[in-house]
Amino acid sequence: MRPLSEVLQDWEAIIGLEIHTELTTLETKMFCGCKLSHDDEPNANVCPICLGMPGALPVPNEKAIESIVMAGIATNCEVMRRSMFYRKHYFYPDMAKNFQTTQGPVAFVMHGHLDLEVSGDGARERPEGAIEKAPDGSYVAPIRILRIHMEEDAAKMNHLGGAEGRIGGATESLIDYNRCGTPLIELVTEPDLRTPEEARLFMEKLRQIFLTLGISDCSLEHGSMRCDGNVSLRRRGTRELGTKSELKNLNSFKSLHDALAYEICRQAEVLESGGIVLQETRHWEPSRKRTVVMRVKETADDYRMYPDPDLVPFDLSDEFVERCRARVPELPDAKRSRYVSAWGLKPYDAARIAGEPAMASLFEAAAQAVDTSEVPMVANVVVNLVFGREDLMPRQVAGLARLLAGDAITFAQARELVELVAGTDRDPEKTADERGLRQSTDVQALADIVETVLQTCDDQVRQYRAGNKKVVGFLVGQCMKASHGNGNPKLFHQLLTQRLES
Amino acid sequence: MARLDELSARQIAAGIAAGDFTATEVAEAALEAVSERDAQVQAFLQVSADLALQAAAATDAARAAGRPLGVLAGVPVAFKDNMNLMGTRTTCASRMLEPYESAYTATCVQRLLDAGATPLGKLNMDEFAFGSTTDSSAFHPTNNPWDLSRVPGGSSGGSAAAVASGEVTIALGTDTGGSIRQPAALCGVVGMKPSYGMVSRYGVVAFGSSLDQVGPLARRVEDVAVTMGALTHGGRDCHDATSQDATRDFLSHLEDGVEGCAIGIIPALMEAEGLAPEVRSAMAVAAQRLETAGARIVEVDLPNMASAISAYYVIASCEAFSNLARFDGVRYGYQEPGCKTLAEQSALSRAHGFGPEAKRRQMLGAYLLASGIYDAYYLPAQQVRTLITADYERAFVQVDAILMPTSPTAAWKHGAISDPAALYLADIFTISNNIAGNCGISVPVMLGEESGLPIGAQLQGPAFADARLLTIARALEQAGDAAGMVAPSFAGGGGEL
Repeated sequence: MRPLSEVLQDWEAIIGLEIHTELTTLETKMFCGCKLSHDDEPNANVCPICLGMPGALPVPNEKAIESIVMAGIATNCEVMRRSMFYRKHYFYPDMAKNFQTTQGPVAFVMHGHLDLEVSGDGARERPEGAIEKAPDGSYVAPIRILRIHMEEDAAKMNHLGGAEGRIGGATESLIDYNRCGTPLIELVTEPDLRTPEEARLFMEKLRQIFLTLGISDCSLEHGSMRCDGNVSLRRRGTRELGTKSELKNLNSFKSLHDALAYEICRQAEVLESGGIVLQETRHWEPSRKRTVVMRVKETADDYRMYPDPDLVPFDLSDEFVERCRARVPELPDAKRSRYVSAWGLKPYDAARIAGEPAMASLFEAAAQAVDTSEVPMVANVVVNLVFGREDLMPRQVAGLARLLAGDAITFAQARELVELVAGTDRDPEKTADERGLRQSTDVQALADIVETVLQTCDDQVRQYRAGNKKVVGFLVGQCMKASHGNGNPKLFHQLLTQRLES
Repeated sequence: MARLDELSARQIAAGIAAGDFTATEVAEAALEAVSERDAQVQAFLQVSADLALQAAAATDAARAAGRPLGVLAGVPVAFKDNMNLMGTRTTCASRMLEPYESAYTATCVQRLLDAGATPLGKLNMDEFAFGSTTDSSAFHPTNNPWDLSRVPGGSSGGSAAAVASGEVTIALGTDTGGSIRQPAALCGVVGMKPSYGMVSRYGVVAFGSSLDQVGPLARRVEDVAVTMGALTHGGRDCHDATSQDATRDFLSHLEDGVEGCAIGIIPALMEAEGLAPEVRSAMAVAAQRLETAGARIVEVDLPNMASAISAYYVIASCEAFSNLARFDGVRYGYQEPGCKTLAEQSALSRAHGFGPEAKRRQMLGAYLLASGIYDAYYLPAQQVRTLITADYERAFVQVDAILMPTSPTAAWKHGAISDPAALYLADIFTISNNIAGNCGISVPVMLGEESGLPIGAQLQGPAFADARLLTIARALEQAGDAAGMVAPSFAGGGGEL
């Protein structure tokens, strides 16, 4: 197979995503009062309604509808004032009623969009000329959202005795109905994505928005956020769409990217050798880095959809929609802009922090406790030392930032301090004093280290003298290592330069 | 000494409150009546003697402790077997659910129990409520107490027969296209289909979710009114998204009469093909009685009624297909033994669990919902529904209720009508009421001139005018002599208090 970059010069990939998100932060299921939980004993959270017992009726969870309306507002969708639930029929025991309650032609929210800012290596996946790019190669891709609709999740089935947990060849199938009836929102994009990187970024951006809204834990690993990708190819410059395949098992950002990249290359190879792409569902195998056929779709499935007579149509009031709008917090894009303009954060740091609500609130609280000039250092600490950790208090982060901003400790010492204060109420500044964690500014001691390092680095010294001044960075690193991370790197730099120039 | 089958619900509750007899004595008398009469009537699928005696003992204990008694304290009731009651099986008269033990109790059942009723058991029906004879029960037919060789009607045939034979004071039935009113008419009792949304459907095995409604059958309009009060006590049920808050008072104005009321009749309907002359003349008698009582008779029209049967069999079959999809033998109910694959197990459990009519309706529904077919049938059927509802709205501007037959004939012999389409046509007078979601009630008028069997008159009222409809029904009942009537061959036998 040819590499992606080459393939995309000749072919245009048309990619659409279907993204399912479980509303894990709600307390109860979509149509009954059962507790939502991923880790209870199998079939602990079930009742006549989610088990589809005779005579049981659904009652919609209003909080779930608030969540989907918030999701719609946050993705620039139109809130449809009148919509209803439909029944989608298929016989399989993971859906206790043998129909799934979902939505019909009109979803709660429709016709939205998200703008993706694509930069760096990923931006190169789009060939030059295919879209207007900035001088640094970055570009903005507007991605339309067709709809976000509400539905209920199916039960989890465990097939035992067969290969790879599939039903074929299994001797036993166990059903855990805990997940059955979990509120699920499905976002469907228009086929506006053109590269695997754009797909990955879309998913990432959506995850950040949903996390910020607090409607889901958005765990790809545990399946509370799941993505299917549809992809087809057409020759650059042509209009007619090709046959698409549907990709499953994209349970990480990397899988989403790599599976699409593989599939684009595979389809190109098929087409270039005169073959045809079949309309099929393909399974991504991350370990073997390939997609394999799950099933071929010869005819469209007939789900016999019709409006659910047990659930009356919804007429969302202005008041309801406004209440939802008021609950939408500042979203990652707006947060990022504010961090850059108010505090001068680096765009990369601002974006990373703004994308993770827990980090954003840690950062903002810590930023309150330092001088404005030290805020970028707070961001540095959050991004590079404590990202993703939940065991540090804002004032500890602020303390670390102050120490670093004042050149009192090195980054290596800061890393050590994080471990010492994490999960306690210790103050980093006091702890640094107690442990003697202060970067060394003893010029004589550092000069001794410089001498030792230079003796072992003849090559680099020669290179420097030959005009390669950059090599001093390597030598600073060697000195830091020799000082066990306690030396002041600026002083080392100064001393090294003096010695080498002399 | 009183005879249980002569007492109204209120008389029983009052007798217990006054200490004339205990709830346990009533329960024992009722169980005795059931054991004496049901060998012939075969209305019951299960008799829940233990539950009955427990409930009665609780009522007696409440009285002894001086606690207030419910409006149905000690009143013997029974439930159509599509209603869940913990401690019983809920079979829908189908092999498919023959082994199914209720996992919970339906709201309508619970509300009667909360009102103090004594549950005698579960009553026969057409399988999954598909039918109008009760002959499609997978277990046994039920016999009309007026003539055991005849059908009791259906699908709530067990409910009507149990009431008509004096086995119970009140029974609950369900009505999707006439399944309460038609058997009530054929068995000579009162049967009411409340407005859609009036009574919770939670815990009642669904047939046509947008049409189904639970309602009472009894020998007196007053007993129906008391039961309606109990069913709606507590207001809308939060477990049923289609249930609504409406009046809960059906008694204050029950005896107000029909002075100044306008009652509609539809002349064209009286010329309907297949309408028995004795039914036509009974309708004339009913109209005459209402007029004598002070009502005005006004001619109205429901021009789209002719399309009601077609629309009904599309909508009801589609909903039935969907509602019965859950019966696959995986989690409960009949499971075909020895299957090798899931598909085989589901297919054979359904093939052998469902009877012919249940399969016919589901196949029809599956066909009608298929892509390409849906647009040609389901959507027009819903449009017809809108037209029929509008027809009623226009008529109810002029009149308080519309009088018409319940069934085109009196009860027929078992097996006399075998063509399903002919049976479907017998629903002509009842179906449009479900389509529009209005309320309807069948009241016995007289015995047929020719058949000597009971003939019921149907009154239909606007949605949520159920209390008003009961007042009119009471006036019609009062003008005749059928109130409290027990089928003659059973009256007076057993059930002494």
